[in-house]
Amino acid sequence: MSRSVEVTVSRPLGELLEFICYVPFRVAASLATIGFFVLAAIAPKVLQTHDPLAIDLSSSLQSPSIVHWLGTDQLGRDLYSRVLEGAGQSLAIGLGATALSMSVALILGVAAALSGGLLDSILTRIFDVLFAIPTLLLALVFVTVFGPSVLTEVIAVGIGTAPGYARMIRGQMLSIKGTGYVEAAKALGHPFPRIVWRHILPNAMSPLTAMVTIGVGQAIIWASGLAFLGLGVAPPAPEWGALLNAGRNYVIYAWWLEIIPGLAVTIFALSLTIVGGHLQDRLEGKI
Amino acid sequence: MLSPTARPTRRFTGRSNHLARKMAATLAVLSGLSQWTPSVHAQEGVAVKRGGVIRYGHFQEPACLFGGWVQQWYLQRQYSDNLVARSDDGKIAPWLAESWTISDDKKVYTFEIKPNVKFTDGTALDAQAIADNINGWLSNNPDLRNPTAAPYLSDSFELAKAIAPQRLQVTLKVPFEPLLNVFAQSSQGILSPTALKRGLAVNCEKPVGSGPFIVDKWRHGREVTFRRNPDYNSAPAIAKHQGPAYVDGISWKFLPDQTVRYGSLITGETDAIYDIPAVAWKDANSRFAVLRHITGGTPLRLALYAARPPFDDVLVRKAFAYSTDRKAAVDTSFLGSLPFEGNGALSQSSPEYLHELGQAYAYDIRKANQLLDQAGWTERDRNGVRVKNGNSLTVRISYSNAFLKPDGEQALQVIQQQARAAGFDVRLQPTNPADFFAGRNLGPDDYEIVLLYWVAPGAEIFRISWKPDQNGEPNRFNPSRFQDSALWEVIQRAEQDFSSAERKGLYQQAERKIVDEAPVIGFTVLDVTLATSPSLKDVWLDHGSVGEPVFYDAHFDERK
Repeated sequence: MSRSVEVTVSRPLGELLEFICYVPFRVAASLATIGFFVLAAIAPKVLQTHDPLAIDLSSSLQSPSIVHWLGTDQLGRDLYSRVLEGAGQSLAIGLGATALSMSVALILGVAAALSGGLLDSILTRIFDVLFAIPTLLLALVFVTVFGPSVLTEVIAVGIGTAPGYARMIRGQMLSIKGTGYVEAAKALGHPFPRIVWRHILPNAMSPLTAMVTIGVGQAIIWASGLAFLGLGVAPPAPEWGALLNAGRNYVIYAWWLEIIPGLAVTIFALSLTIVGGHLQDRLEGKI
Repeated sequence: MLSPTARPTRRFTGRSNHLARKMAATLAVLSGLSQWTPSVHAQEGVAVKRGGVIRYGHFQEPACLFGGWVQQWYLQRQYSDNLVARSDDGKIAPWLAESWTISDDKKVYTFEIKPNVKFTDGTALDAQAIADNINGWLSNNPDLRNPTAAPYLSDSFELAKAIAPQRLQVTLKVPFEPLLNVFAQSSQGILSPTALKRGLAVNCEKPVGSGPFIVDKWRHGREVTFRRNPDYNSAPAIAKHQGPAYVDGISWKFLPDQTVRYGSLITGETDAIYDIPAVAWKDANSRFAVLRHITGGTPLRLALYAARPPFDDVLVRKAFAYSTDRKAAVDTSFLGSLPFEGNGALSQSSPEYLHELGQAYAYDIRKANQLLDQAGWTERDRNGVRVKNGNSLTVRISYSNAFLKPDGEQALQVIQQQARAAGFDVRLQPTNPADFFAGRNLGPDDYEIVLLYWVAPGAEIFRISWKPDQNGEPNRFNPSRFQDSALWEVIQRAEQDFSSAERKGLYQQAERKIVDEAPVIGFTVLDVTLATSPSLKDVWLDHGSVGEPVFYDAHFDERK
């Protein structure tokens, strides 16, 4: 006698499984890559094969091998372990800078959209002026004035990218402000703060979820650019941009020192972009 | 350095004797200078190809085309002439001065100036023009003051004046034997007094000298172009030929990235490059003509701030030196292309260099630990960093790539790790050149160690580095802040001693004391390297000065 067993899957879990089943391969691969780097950032020792700061002068400039999977640098440090160690700082800068820029953008964008009138004009002009200054230049000035460190890199990149987000948030808020359901809520006599909180903000933020994901990758690239120019964290920290900067002097004779950190930045930023793009498509109902 | 033949052997007191002595001394100098008649150019007898523009890739771009930084000297060497030159073996040779005499009391130098020389703006280069330059160097006029000459000469210089159209007299308050060495450095190139009246800003952009090339245009961030001075008639006696330069000009490109710079030579986009990267050293030697000069003066060294803890204690300074295997760090980081220098006081190309100090403070971690224990740094925190009275043994190293090649930063990371084993918490403070020159990370509380050099032909550099603060005015060229009156006394005695052997002995006495007190620790030699394409001939480095590249004698071979 057989007994049939009915398994009930909760709705959110079901949605997640459905998402996983229907996720395209490129997105799955990107998620796996992000997961790998996040694990490296949270618990680098789990994945590292060597001490990333340990100098071994007898193993200088070794090409990739079984012992050193991605080769060694001039001081004999294991490049694979250094790239993983650098993931923590790069990710922290990416997330921190994006969080900062989103926070600044949210306050200014919402204030501009909701206030209208003179304040809106002033804030919009400020966005325009800041937008006219290249992000890297703005970040360069900031780091030059306040000195290089993880915190200044976060602030520099965060402030540098904030005008773009602020403009986007303002536009979203304005478009939603004039929609029928907001007008309906007003007609029903809901207080304006409640309308903003319940209707405008959630609908304005949804498209930004994807932008934030992409923005993290972009912020990592900006931060790496700063470090590449020698304005990042001090040695021997293996932040990805700093690794690229150190490797460029050996690009002809020890390709791995430049290619590997470059690939790490590219692959991680690309993965975030792919996932962000996928999220955007889903939220816009394209898939 | 005075030519040995120029030194009067007797002291005359009577007026007639005085004149006779001067004539004898002049004749002696002139006879001795016969060795300085222009040497036969290697290419003479064979037609030297004229024309072409040398495309030269350089490392750093200064803010002005003349000044106190050696990068400015390199440029100035192309467009200005000096009063005297210094040969490879340290002898002073004629340049704008055809001959000179020195008074018995060693305070009055009289120079006979080469006739018919003009600056490239048409101003006559006579004794008055040179006097105007020298007086300006030592004046308080910011447009004229010379940041290299002033610290050397401000204590001894009294006046320069033209006592005849072609006769210059320089009077000192006290004897200063290295005077001619100072005059021979490119930073003391003579500039047109007419042009100098335009002000510093204009002169920085387009200085006017009497040299073999004329500054044509400075495209900031890209290049300085020089064109040949067709009327050049004032080459130094150490040059390989006389008359105008062979090439039409120089395109002095600024290529700060070493890979790009070396790559430009490989691809033929440049004819010569400065500062061969360590990683390309072997390759460059197999493919190109390589020139190298190890500069005199100080090596590239670690200056330890000795005026406050922890390095106010000589035991801690020595402990830091012993705790770091600087030789291994330099050998590895520079891939064997750059020699280690353990003598922090003086560079190995200086005549007064003591070889036995070249390996001073060789790596000895046991000794480092003993010294730190002895100094009272006996406790350690959980990270292994030594602690004394609640203060950690933290050492911040300030440096800039204005002074340190990229490979040098790797060497500092080795030092950072090695010193940790002895209980030092070493933190690196990289600073970009603009900030570094603006004084960032160089304030009294900003660093414990700073990495610096100062080039000079020899031990006269001690005056710059170790002159004690005067009347509350700090000596800004002494980043270790180490002040020792006994050391200063020895240095001054050496400067006033015109006997070669005794002066050398005094300088070496000072050298030993500096190394023994360890306010500076040796790191690497500072070298000038040039790689030139096979088609470019007769480029040379001015070994007698500080290794400035000289393109005056250069020419392309017939095949190009």
